[in-house]
Amino acid sequence: MAAGDPMDPPPMDPKDRELLVEAAASAWRPRSPAASPGGLPMHPAWYDLDDEGREQAFEVTRTSRVMEAALDDDGQSTTVRAVLARIAAAQGAP
Amino acid sequence: MLDLDSHLSAIVAGDTAAFGRWMASSEHTVRDSLRSFAARVDTESVVQETFLRVWQVAPRFQRDGRPNGLLRLALRIARNLAISETRRLKTAATVSDELENRVAVELDERGPRPPDPMLRQAIVQCRQRLPDKPGQALTARLESAGGDHDREVARRIGMTRNTFLQNVTRARRFLVKCLEELGVNVNAEIV
Repeated sequence: MAAGDPMDPPPMDPKDRELLVEAAASAWRPRSPAASPGGLPMHPAWYDLDDEGREQAFEVTRTSRVMEAALDDDGQSTTVRAVLARIAAAQGAP
Repeated sequence: MLDLDSHLSAIVAGDTAAFGRWMASSEHTVRDSLRSFAARVDTESVVQETFLRVWQVAPRFQRDGRPNGLLRLALRIARNLAISETRRLKTAATVSDELENRVAVELDERGPRPPDPMLRQAIVQCRQRLPDKPGQALTARLESAGGDHDREVARRIGMTRNTFLQNVTRARRFLVKCLEELGVNVNAEIV
């Protein structure tokens, strides 16, 4: 389609994008295999974002993780802690 | 140069605390290596899955005499996962090697970026200045540590999901601005 084609979907509302970006920047990801059959789990907010929003989500996540790690006594971001929780769950830790 | 393979023997012995320390020092490098995939795959999922796979394969990992071998393995796993996801999701036309090469060169020349003690000192100071609601939202997000959907995190602190997300955004922007005023650039690039 040519640029500015009337058949293009309307641009995402910036406020909606901002909420989805912040949601996608969470370290939470669905655990149900149905959430993403045959592949890695996707945050539903990430799926709903347009390309610009996904790029923003990457940068927001990047910044957030640096700050989270700096605020954590062990230097661990929520991503690191989420992975450790998954390992503990797999090992059957309480 | 920081060599994170110093954690390897403990990781192989099943020491999750050591693996946590390794991940804490590796995360930024792994995440940055995926920037070119940002619009194509959920890179947070790729990072988490990469770390899980590193944990699983670490006992079989063979060092090659160069530092940060486990991190270099993580970068390869991350890239392969991202490429696999782009194919599954049909979201990529071509995949460039440029960023991966820059990350690899940076890692070989300088190693992973060590924690910045100035950042920690400054952010603790900035967090104390956070307004109430953004502070509550940030604390709740941190305490949840990815274990709960934001809907549940918001509910626990009596916010709607949208209000919670708006407050998390406000907290992040406040902290970034506060850090910049203290001369700390939290968005400094490593590649």
